[in-house]
Amino acid sequence: MTGRRRLGLVAATATLLASAPLATIFDSWTWLLQVLLTVVMIAGAAVLARTLRFPGWAQGLSMALALLVTLTWIFPSGHELLVPTPATLAHFAELIQQAGEDTRSYAVPVPDRDGLLFVAVLGLGVVAIVVDLLTAVFRRPALAGLPMLAIYSIPVAVYLDSVPVTPFIVGACGYLWLLVADNVDRVRRFGRRFTGDGRDVDVWEPSPLAAAGRRLGVAGVLVAVLLPLALPTVTGGLLSQLTQSGNGVGGGLGTGNGGRIDLFAALSGKLTDSTTVNLLKVTTTEKEPFYLRFAVADQLTATGIGSQPPSGNALNRGSLPDPRRESSTNQTTFQQYHAEIEVSDALRQTMAPTYSYPVGIKDLSGTWAYDPNQQVLYSNRSTTSKQRYSVDYLRAQYTPAALRTAPALGPDDPLRRAYTSVPVNTFVNDLVAKLTKGKTNDYDKARAIYESFSKKYGYTYSLQTQPAGNLAEIEAFLKNKVGFCQQYAVAMTWMVRAAGIPARVAFGFTRGTAEDGDTFVITNRNAHAWTEVYLQGFGWVPFDATPSAGVSGSARSNWAPDVDQTTSPSTPTSAAPVPDSSASLAPGQNQRPDRANDGGGTATAGTFSSDEENWTGLLIGGTIATLIALLLVPALRRVLLRRRRNAATIGPPPAVVDPGEPGPAGTVTGIEVTSEAAQARADAHAAWDELIDTMIDFQIAVDPTETPRLTAQRLIKETLLSAEPAAAAELLGTAEERARYARQPLQGAELTSALRRLRAGMSHSASARVRLRATLFPPSILLEWRLALAEAGTRTMEAASRARESLARFNLRRLLTRTR
Amino acid sequence: MTTPTWGEPTGPLTSAEFRAAAQAIMANIEQVIEGKSATVRLALAVMLAEGHLLIEDVPGVGKTKLAKALARSIDCSVRRIQFTPDLLPSDVTGVSVYNQETRDFEFKPGAVFANLVVGDEINRASPKTQSALLECMEERQVTVDGTTYELQAPFMVVATQNPIEMEGTYPLPEAQRDRFTARIAMGYPDPRAELAMLSGHGDHDPLNDLHAVADAALVRRLIETARAVHAADAVQQYAIALVTATREAPEIRLGASPRSTLQLIRTAKAVAALEGRDYVLPDDLQSLAVPVLAHRLIPTADAQLNRRTTDTIVSEIVHRLPIPHANRSPYDTRDGRAPYESRGR
Repeated sequence: MTGRRRLGLVAATATLLASAPLATIFDSWTWLLQVLLTVVMIAGAAVLARTLRFPGWAQGLSMALALLVTLTWIFPSGHELLVPTPATLAHFAELIQQAGEDTRSYAVPVPDRDGLLFVAVLGLGVVAIVVDLLTAVFRRPALAGLPMLAIYSIPVAVYLDSVPVTPFIVGACGYLWLLVADNVDRVRRFGRRFTGDGRDVDVWEPSPLAAAGRRLGVAGVLVAVLLPLALPTVTGGLLSQLTQSGNGVGGGLGTGNGGRIDLFAALSGKLTDSTTVNLLKVTTTEKEPFYLRFAVADQLTATGIGSQPPSGNALNRGSLPDPRRESSTNQTTFQQYHAEIEVSDALRQTMAPTYSYPVGIKDLSGTWAYDPNQQVLYSNRSTTSKQRYSVDYLRAQYTPAALRTAPALGPDDPLRRAYTSVPVNTFVNDLVAKLTKGKTNDYDKARAIYESFSKKYGYTYSLQTQPAGNLAEIEAFLKNKVGFCQQYAVAMTWMVRAAGIPARVAFGFTRGTAEDGDTFVITNRNAHAWTEVYLQGFGWVPFDATPSAGVSGSARSNWAPDVDQTTSPSTPTSAAPVPDSSASLAPGQNQRPDRANDGGGTATAGTFSSDEENWTGLLIGGTIATLIALLLVPALRRVLLRRRRNAATIGPPPAVVDPGEPGPAGTVTGIEVTSEAAQARADAHAAWDELIDTMIDFQIAVDPTETPRLTAQRLIKETLLSAEPAAAAELLGTAEERARYARQPLQGAELTSALRRLRAGMSHSASARVRLRATLFPPSILLEWRLALAEAGTRTMEAASRARESLARFNLRRLLTRTR
Repeated sequence: MTTPTWGEPTGPLTSAEFRAAAQAIMANIEQVIEGKSATVRLALAVMLAEGHLLIEDVPGVGKTKLAKALARSIDCSVRRIQFTPDLLPSDVTGVSVYNQETRDFEFKPGAVFANLVVGDEINRASPKTQSALLECMEERQVTVDGTTYELQAPFMVVATQNPIEMEGTYPLPEAQRDRFTARIAMGYPDPRAELAMLSGHGDHDPLNDLHAVADAALVRRLIETARAVHAADAVQQYAIALVTATREAPEIRLGASPRSTLQLIRTAKAVAALEGRDYVLPDDLQSLAVPVLAHRLIPTADAQLNRRTTDTIVSEIVHRLPIPHANRSPYDTRDGRAPYESRGR
């Protein structure tokens, strides 16, 4: 098979692989069959055209014809016989129109609608043609990545929150295969491959560099995959990102320009305006409405909290669940209210704020779905920006006495298993055990935990703490007892779960500022998080553990009264010192009232942070000291080495001279091997090593091809040594020379003092920078370490290549024949 | 005629005696050859190494003068052969002639039967005649008509030749070149030496005034002394490394022979002795590498096309090879400071 035809087939396969993202759009796999057929037809047309040696434009034309014919077969209008007619084209136009309507009315995953399938197959066919032309005709396979990327952009556009990664990997693999196939073909066109000495090259590799290229490629992919994992912001889903970055939803108050909501909007990818603070305007028939909620975090792990993506039916398919029917007890009183919610363009998110237990939602444009479990109204495509919708909702009211009757869930209850999983933490467990001691029912236990978050226990509200988002931070919060709503909510959820009761964190907005009568204005500072506890028979019951003084628009219930105002259940007007609405409307000014708001909190935070500073100072000091110590290690090693060598050269000659030790038998050279001579030799070598190291330290080149004599002469010439150090250098050179090559080494020479004189002379003639470097960072030591490192690396590489070679030689058949 | 029989003092000389004798010979020669003390010293070293000397240079720089001065400084038998294209091997080695009186063949020794043989313009003779020197130079004997005649000790051939590019020359075969211990070039004298030469040689030839300052017996003792110079293991390894490097060099077709290793060490010993040392230094080998090794090597065609002479190739090898340390092989890469990378193919 010629290169081009083969390349065309690879291009077709790559297109098929790149179509993987469509799997996330469609509900079933019908599209795959149709796309497969289309791509096969197109590839067949291309192969045929190339076999007949059509020119490039004719190849494109034949592929387009193949696409048209295939489309006609798959989507017949009923008036033609295998060949497209004008009626067919009219039918296609209808299908496209239908697809346009379908895209507006269906949420992903979409069912098999003819229009949508037609558009998908048409698009894929066009991509297949373009990829084929770019690869096989124009020989520019890199450009083929663009249409492939276009396919992937479909789920990116549809899924606002998170995009599945698997189809991208599949498509990328196809693309890489295409590139590799093209390059191999390109190299083969030169004729026989030329591989240098021919070693380490597999037969199928186009060049010896291929292995290096592959290694580079793998390293690049690994870095690309691992680096984002190391960054904290993309570890989890939407809500874990929310809670792990910045102050959390509830803490937006402290950061000024509505940072949390901005972040939320940024994560939704649609940030438009960062200065608006008015987010919602709610008109409700309920006098004292509870919080608006839009999201739930139900996963509590050591790295933080996260949520499962919501799942539920689209709003236009069936009605919302009615809690009155599903409630198993009649001890809950429900009252129906009606609310008009107006969202400004600043709140652009895919989760619509609503009151709990909505039973009717109207006028919400776009495709929205309701998750009855999370009680979350969400969309995969639409956002809440500039929406205006109405909600009919049921407000549940419980009494503590009724809640106390809620039976505990059995340990094997799936709900309990799903919502009580927490990392094991003895501190929290002990705390929970202490708090819930003697409590017999779930409500009392949750209530005890709830009430522990009070001034009585030393808790204060402050936005000054820096959230890290993980549970270590929550544990720290439980110890130092300063934090804001996110930490309160997560901490309570954790503790309630630790007590064996299902709990989760809810996100939303507090009541907001009341404007004329029943209208509330909600700003970014009303963003909030609280805890929901599941009590059997009652469902998810909200508990807001955050001190009401710190939260504007805070509201309390009679089953979870304000623990800091024990006199009476809080009223919405008195609970929160709400700044006037003009202030809240002015962007940039909202930080100041907040600060005033948690004055008490900042005081404690101050003492806390001074502690922190001391500790930090110590840490910084310690780090600097360690660094300095580490930096001084080379200098220290150099000094020690010099001292050892000096000791060797000064050392007293051994008293015992062994004259009887003969030279090697049969030699007539008459070398007198005495221990004294050996000692003198060793001394000279030590002195010479020290001289060489000193030369390296003072950045004088050391040439291994030079004899000691030449080295000494060059040293004298290059460093312009004066008479005394020059004589020392010559003495050292002679001593080393004789120690190496003569029968008798030079004995009785003052090598140490010569070394000292020489070093002084060299230091004198060196520049200040070189001198400093020689003292603090001796290059000789650094060089020694570098060489040792390089050698270790070489050995490792050698061992690895040996292992690889033995692996390559491994042949099961040979092994079997040998044993036989 | 074969071995010295006269009673002479034998045994090595002391360092002082050696120096005195060597200095006398060198000073004597330098009366004739001005400003070439390094060349003179090398020539003497080759003699003390029991080697043969090839002096190669353009005409008129004093090749023959050096050879004759060396011969005259030593009171021993000296023969001179002018190599001409029609010279025959028997002129060199000798010939058996029929003696009418004794009615027998009688051997008439050729020119090589002397202590010092000066072969002038050796590459003017045909290779046939050049080859007549092969046996006597290496084995110090001559075989004619089945009879082997030993040559006197010391025996040294000092040959001069014009560079092989000159006209009317037959380049020496490599076997012949390999028998010469060293090839030296005279080089032009510097202006001062040339001036001295003009004033000194203007009226008469100083060669005529030259008197012998040593005899064959003294030379034998000098040779014996030079042999006793110590060459450490490291130095011998270095010599082997140098020779091996010429064999592995990509630019060289034929590397240096094992004989050249031996001659390198011997000459280095002689040079060390001339410098008053009783041990050989790598410095000696470095200075001798080009004269001793270069003329034996045959460069590849590529190297010849690139105008690379064997001299430059050898000196590059010298500058590339690391010096051996005591008790360390030059191939030992574990010397942390100077890892030597073998560059062979």
